[in-house]
Amino acid sequence: MISRRTVLGTGALAAATLAAPSILHAQTKTLKITTWGGKWGDIMKATVLPAFEKEFKCTVSADQAFPYVPKLQASPKNDPLYDVLHTNSNEQWNCFTEGLVMDKITPKEAPNVADVYPWAASDKIVGVAIFTSAIGLGFRTDKGLTKPTSWKDLADPKLAGARGSYIIPVNSLGQCHLMMLGKIYGKGLQDLDAAYKALEQLKPIKLVDFTGQMEKMLLSGEVSMGVIHDSGVYRYDGQNQPVDFASPSEGVMALEQVLNVTPGSKVKELAFAYVDYMLRPDTQKLLAEGVWYSPANKKVKLDAKYDEKLLTTEAKVATLIQPDWKWYNARKEDIDARVTKILKG
Amino acid sequence: MSAPLPTIRNKQPFDAGRATYLTLNGLLLAFLLAPIAIVLVFALNPTPYISFPPVGVSLRWFEKFFRTPEFTNALFLSLWVAGCVLVLSIVIGGACALALARGNLPGRSFLTAFFMSPLMLPAILTGLALFQSYLLAGIGRPVWGLIMAHTLVAVPYVIRTTLAVLHNFDRRIEEAAAVLGASPTRVFFEVTLPLIRPGVFAGGVFAFIVSFDQFPVSLFLVVPKGETLPVVLFNYMKFDLDGAIAAASMVSILLALSVVLVLERLIGLRAYVKL
Amino acid sequence: MTSATIRLDDVTKIFDGRVLAVDGVTLDIAAGEFFSLLGPSGCGKTTSLRMIAGFELPDSGRVHVAGRDITDLPVHKRDMGMVFQSYALFPHRTVAENVAFGLRMREVPKPDIERRVKAALAQVALTGLEERKPGQLSGGQQQRVALARALVVEPPVLLCDEPLGALDRKLRQQMQFELKELQKRLGVTLVFVTHDQEEALAMSDRIAVMNHGKVEQVGAPTEIYERPRTRFVADFIGEINILEESGRARALRPEKIHLVSDGARVSGTVETANFLGGSTLLRVMTTDGRSLLVRETHAGERPSRKPGDAVGLLWNDQDTVLLEG
Repeated sequence: MISRRTVLGTGALAAATLAAPSILHAQTKTLKITTWGGKWGDIMKATVLPAFEKEFKCTVSADQAFPYVPKLQASPKNDPLYDVLHTNSNEQWNCFTEGLVMDKITPKEAPNVADVYPWAASDKIVGVAIFTSAIGLGFRTDKGLTKPTSWKDLADPKLAGARGSYIIPVNSLGQCHLMMLGKIYGKGLQDLDAAYKALEQLKPIKLVDFTGQMEKMLLSGEVSMGVIHDSGVYRYDGQNQPVDFASPSEGVMALEQVLNVTPGSKVKELAFAYVDYMLRPDTQKLLAEGVWYSPANKKVKLDAKYDEKLLTTEAKVATLIQPDWKWYNARKEDIDARVTKILKG
Repeated sequence: MSAPLPTIRNKQPFDAGRATYLTLNGLLLAFLLAPIAIVLVFALNPTPYISFPPVGVSLRWFEKFFRTPEFTNALFLSLWVAGCVLVLSIVIGGACALALARGNLPGRSFLTAFFMSPLMLPAILTGLALFQSYLLAGIGRPVWGLIMAHTLVAVPYVIRTTLAVLHNFDRRIEEAAAVLGASPTRVFFEVTLPLIRPGVFAGGVFAFIVSFDQFPVSLFLVVPKGETLPVVLFNYMKFDLDGAIAAASMVSILLALSVVLVLERLIGLRAYVKL
Repeated sequence: MTSATIRLDDVTKIFDGRVLAVDGVTLDIAAGEFFSLLGPSGCGKTTSLRMIAGFELPDSGRVHVAGRDITDLPVHKRDMGMVFQSYALFPHRTVAENVAFGLRMREVPKPDIERRVKAALAQVALTGLEERKPGQLSGGQQQRVALARALVVEPPVLLCDEPLGALDRKLRQQMQFELKELQKRLGVTLVFVTHDQEEALAMSDRIAVMNHGKVEQVGAPTEIYERPRTRFVADFIGEINILEESGRARALRPEKIHLVSDGARVSGTVETANFLGGSTLLRVMTTDGRSLLVRETHAGERPSRKPGDAVGLLWNDQDTVLLEG
């Protein structure tokens, strides 16, 4: 990177005597990315993006307004709306199938990829994952419940009407939960028939659109136990809320934060530099501790409080189960129709 | 003589029809106001989730709303956009309505339907189609592009309300002005415009609210750091579902209400009941 | 106040290429004349008036005012006054602003406007209502405002399109009187459109009776009444008996028939008797099979004829009028 910048600098100097406006143009390259809002967005805007802009002498236009994928789909492929797309893994797979994003990002493009855990660059990932959350069970600590140890604990009859999950067609945590049901009650993640049957047994169940709602339902006590990602519970750490997170013994599902570059990007090098920047240990530590995400980079050393709860060792990482989104997305319509029928009423 | 009179008047027989009528009206009113009441409770409740009954009253969410630049910037952008949409749709919608009502245009009913068509199309498609057109045309997504998009869906409201006024318009009034020496231009500004103004501005109020509350059309057309309030609220909700959302809703409702009241005062929407 | 002559010269108006509204009308209206266009609805009287005002352009023929051809002059340059049946007051302006409108358009200095508006409102007895809006006035008051608004600019020509049509009978008679008086005092040329023959007879210097877009007869009220030229005019103005004699039609007014006991021209039986106050209108079935209207005037005595009474009728041949066509 440094060498590239030097070259750029020299070139700029040389060109300065000839055509000043073109240098100005070169210096104010714009990188168009998507990124999350909330606490994550606050850290990005306050610290990460300004530092990146300063180091790479560019401006970053960060879109925090959903829906990213339809916007990208609707923009011309040779001049895409985004250079770097940040989404969860299943949306990346959708984009990849449509040729909207690249296949893999390797250490060649972003050197820090060499230091990631295997899950972050596995065959279940297009692009590269920079963080993951663990999808498990959130529960109230004040309702006399013992800490769940198995996904099967959600089916406890005592929890009728007080258990929570998601509207499967629109939420990837719900989709993960469905696959997990296939694994627990059937032959594996792809045993849909077993999953459907198990889902039937979970009724009555409270279903929500997105994770923020599940957090509120747990906080308000409307739900005593629900499917949620660890960061959605840990973020209330230190606020004296009677909620906790449990990782079932069968394993947790991975909710990866994935970065990918669009093939039509006009500033590809800058895009790769951004991906690399997001994988730097200091960036990873800052964000991981800010929003309770487990970092992808093996070299990150988190403070004890975070290190204890997040997936920061090879052993802990081994409990992560990565869904096969390519397989799932190919069947999504059938699954949606089926689960809608099951959960109706 | 006068003493027994009130007692007689009070002795009204029970009227089942009237009781039903009042009950239905009461239910309808409750149905319309209940969501606002719930939002208000949520906004004033100190907990970051809706708890019922409320555990207390606090203004912390209003404070958070006004102290968060994302919200206030979005609020000002929304107000600015809605203000421009108000002006544009009044001018365009008023002119369209006049042309439709007075122009002796061929295919008038077709044209009327055509100008109303943005209301028939799902707004999300309007937004998506404009987004693609803008990108293909290479103009990006400037704020005036957003204003144009909102104007597109707001203009039909102005056309409708103006046409309604024009429908009951006594053209002899314009003729009287012409005989008295007013040129066509002066007739328009001295007579026509003041008389259709209530209709035009009633539509303008709709236009303002349509733009201020606009979500589906804006969804694709806002840019990073240039997001309107409904879009910001939608995205905020995905990460932080707390009372700031409710506070923002209350601020929106109050702003929309005050715009309507101010316009009503300034222009007097009820000034000429009898035209 | 000035006044002007008006001349319609063989004027024709066709609407939508097929409805012949005015068909070759020629009229000469003298300066200072109270001239009525009278006829049933659809006869072309309003269209003729609107061509004088300039709201409609004739398809053929010319319009002259004060000897000048104004056919192609736009409405606002014709310098006329007009009063509409619906009054057409500006609802968003006060009475004073309504009256001042024409003066403002003529860029009359402000103090003059105030003075003239005051005078015009005094003229129609509306002093004190300057700040009212039209919606707060009675029909008669609105009519006076419309009149003041039209007259304040001192137009040489005042056009009135059924201006009293919306008023009740009592008010209407009062306004007829006032309007006539005002017109005489100001000397303005007034063209008055009405379908009410009594109103036309009472107010006009001359009347043009119109039918199917054509002028049937022009003349003074007495002339129109006593010597109708066509069957239409005879029929339209007042009560009339049409006598068919050897293929020719003669008109005979009911008051020209006398009730006699001896020497009756024809005898008959009273069928109906309508008491009208100063007279009674009898319908008499004659022995030769005709139904005649007879006006019996009461000079002090009570009405004497009742249905079923036998009566003898007598009239002079000089009192009958030979009709054209």
